[in-house]
Amino acid sequence: MPTEHSWTELRRGLADLRALLAFRASGLGRRTRRRLSIAAGIVAVLTIAAVVAPAYLREPLDGRRSSTFVAILPSLYLGFLVLATLAAIASGGGREVVPREQAVAYPVSSVTEHLGALLLAPLNIAWLIQAWTIIALTTYVLGPRALPAVALPLLLWIAFATAFGQAVGWAFEGIRRGSQGLLVARLISAAAMSVVVTLVLSDELVPALDRSPTVRVYLAAAYATGHQWGAWAASLAGLVVLLVVAVLVGLVPARWALHRALREELRLESGRIEPRSNPGSDLRAMMRIDRASIWRSVPLRRGLIVLAFMPGLVALAGSLEWSMVTILPGLVASGGALLFGVNTWCLDGRGALWRDSLPVSAGIAYYAKVIVLFEVLLAAAGFTILLAALRAGTPTSAELGSAIAAAVVVGAQVVATSMRWSVERPYAMDMRSARATPAPPVVMAGYSARLALKTTITGLVFSGTALADGWVFPALVALPLLCWSCVRLVRTADRWAVPELRARVVAVVAT
Amino acid sequence: MRCVAGDQSRQERIRVRGLWVRFGSVEAVRGIDVTAYAGRATALLGRNGAGKSTTMRVLGGVIPPTAGEVIVDGVDVRTDPLTVKRATGYCPDVGGLIPRATPWEHLQLAARLRRMQGWETRAQDLLERFELGDAAHRVTGGFSHGMGRRLSVVLAAFHQPGVLLLDEPFDGVDPVGVEATQQVIDDAKARGAAVLISTHLRDLAMEACEDALVLRGGSAVAAMDADALVGEAGARAYRALLD
Repeated sequence: MPTEHSWTELRRGLADLRALLAFRASGLGRRTRRRLSIAAGIVAVLTIAAVVAPAYLREPLDGRRSSTFVAILPSLYLGFLVLATLAAIASGGGREVVPREQAVAYPVSSVTEHLGALLLAPLNIAWLIQAWTIIALTTYVLGPRALPAVALPLLLWIAFATAFGQAVGWAFEGIRRGSQGLLVARLISAAAMSVVVTLVLSDELVPALDRSPTVRVYLAAAYATGHQWGAWAASLAGLVVLLVVAVLVGLVPARWALHRALREELRLESGRIEPRSNPGSDLRAMMRIDRASIWRSVPLRRGLIVLAFMPGLVALAGSLEWSMVTILPGLVASGGALLFGVNTWCLDGRGALWRDSLPVSAGIAYYAKVIVLFEVLLAAAGFTILLAALRAGTPTSAELGSAIAAAVVVGAQVVATSMRWSVERPYAMDMRSARATPAPPVVMAGYSARLALKTTITGLVFSGTALADGWVFPALVALPLLCWSCVRLVRTADRWAVPELRARVVAVVAT
Repeated sequence: MRCVAGDQSRQERIRVRGLWVRFGSVEAVRGIDVTAYAGRATALLGRNGAGKSTTMRVLGGVIPPTAGEVIVDGVDVRTDPLTVKRATGYCPDVGGLIPRATPWEHLQLAARLRRMQGWETRAQDLLERFELGDAAHRVTGGFSHGMGRRLSVVLAAFHQPGVLLLDEPFDGVDPVGVEATQQVIDDAKARGAAVLISTHLRDLAMEACEDALVLRGGSAVAAMDADALVGEAGARAYRALLD
C-alpha cells in the first residue's frame, strides 16, 4: 500500500533522519565533539543574551531610537523570510545531511531530505545573525517584562519563515529541473528583481514594507508585555498552525523536486566543450583546469552569481552610503569562500590523485588555486561594489579608495584563511549537486562565523578610512593587512610543500 | 622478507628495498622489496588492504615512503619526486579524473607539464583505441566507471613513460577496453618500459605479466614467474598465498 504523504511516511522520515544524524555523528572524533559542544553552547548563550540583554538596556539607554526600531521591525521580520527563502533557493532546496554520493545506497526519502534540510538551515551565520538581530531589537523595544512570552512568538516566526523558505526553495528547484526549467527560473528571478527595482525607483518600497502583515508578529510579542494573554495565545496558536502547515506543505514540492532529474547538471555533463589552444605556462595550465572546475559546477556558478548580485541589489535598494559599501566585499568574499574555497582541493575531486602525480612543483599547484580563488572573490566583490555605486552618489577619493582597499584586503584575508583550512582539514566532497557543500554542515557553520567576524571587522575599519581626506590613508591601512595575508599564504604554501601533508590532503579529497 | 620479481641480469627500472609506509598508527606497507625490469610486466597481487595501491602511490611519487629505499629509473623518489613523476605514468585505483574537465583538457595539461610537443595525434589515437574519441570533449563527471578507468590508462600511457604503473586498470572495463589496455602494456614492454600492474583479476594479470609479486598485510609473501599462477593450479597456489 502506498504510504506517500501519510503519517507513516512522516514517522519513518523522522526515524531515518535520526539514523542519518547518528551516522554523521559517529564519524566525529572526541576533539570535534568537544568543539561542537562548545559551539552549541556559545550559540545557546548568545541566543539567550539576544533575548535578555537588550531588554535590560532599554532603561539605561532611555529607550533611545526605540520608535525607529518599532517602525522597521515588521520589515526586518519580512527580511528574515526573504533571506530564508533565498538561502533555500540558492542551495537547490536545502542542504544534505549526508552527501548524495554517500547516501545513494540507502532509501533516503524526500521526507527525510526535507526535514534534514530544515534542521540544517540554521547552521549558517547569516541565518543566526538575522535571527539574533530581530529578537534583540524586539526585546529592546518591548523591555524586560514577560520576556519568555515575548520571545516565543519571535522564535515561532523564525521557525515558520525557515520552513516557508524551504518550501519555496524546493518548489523553485522543482521548476529549475523541468524541461525549460532554467529559462523559467531565470524569468521568475528577473520578474522578482524588476518588481523590487520598480518599487525602489518609484519610492514605493518603504510604503509597501510599512503595509507588511508581519506587524502581527510584533503585536503578538507586544501582547505579552501588555498582559493581553488572550490575544497573545491566539497569535501564538496562529503561528504554530502556520509553522506546522509550512513544514507539511514543504513535503510536496520536496518530493516533486527530488524526483526530477538534475537537468542542468546532466546538460553540463553531456555537452561538448570546445577545446582551447595550448596553455603558455604550467601555472596557466593549472589555473585553466581550476577555473573550469568552478564555472562548470552548477552550485558554484549559481552561488557566485547570487553572491555577486544579492548584496549589491540590497545596497541598491537601501541607497547604501559609500562609508557602508566597504562592508559588502567582506560579505561577498566570505560567501564565495564558503562555496568551495574552504576546501579548495575539492575542485579536483577524485582527480586529485592523478593531478598530484603530474610533474609540477607543489608551489605551482598551490598558487594556481590561490590566484583562481582570489580572482573569483575579487570579481564578485567588484560587481557588488559597482551595483552599490549606482545609488551611492559620487564618492570621494577616500571612499572609493576604501571600498577598493576593502575588496582587496578581505579577498586576501579570506583566501589566506581558506587555503589554511583547505590544507589542515580536507574533506572528500563531490560538488556536482546544487545542494552540496565543501565541508560538513556543522563545520561550515563554524567557518561562516569565523569568516563573517573577520571580514566584518575589516569592513568596518575601511568604513572609518572612508572618512579620511584622500585615498592615501586607506591605502596605508591596507598595506600591512595585505602583507600579513601574504605571510599567511606563504606559511601555508610551505606546509603544502611537505610531501607527507600533501599526500594526506590528496588521499582524503580523492577518496 | 625480500622478494624479487624477475631476472637480476636485466636492466632495473624499479628498485624498492625495505619499503615502509605508515599513516598514523596504521602500517600500510611493512618492509617490502620490489624489483621490476625494463621490457617486463610485474603483477602486484593480494587481498584488499595488502598494500598494493599504497606501493603504487609511492612509486608514482604521490606518497612519500616512511622508510626504505625507492629508486625509479635510477632516481630516489624521496629526494627527487618530480623527476620520478616525469619518468612514470600512473593510473590511480580510484577515480583519477578531474570531474569537470574533459579528457582532452586532461591530456592538454599532462602534455604541457611533461613538455610534450605535437602530442595531439597520439592523444587522438589513444582516445580512439580506447573508444573515447566521441567523449573527448565532454566533462568526465558524466562518465561511466569503465570509461573513467579507460581514460586513466590513456593518461598513464600517454607520454610513453619508462615506468608504467597501472592500479586496477581492468576494473569494470569492457572487453574492448581490456584489449586496448593489454595492447598498451605490450607496447610499453616493447619499447623497454617496466610495467607494474596491481589487480584482483588474476587471469588478466597473468596474460599481461611475466612476473608476479603477492602481498599480504603490507608484506610481500611470494615472488614468482607469472606462469606459476596460471590456470587451476595457479588459482590454488594463489589462494594458498592469501591465507
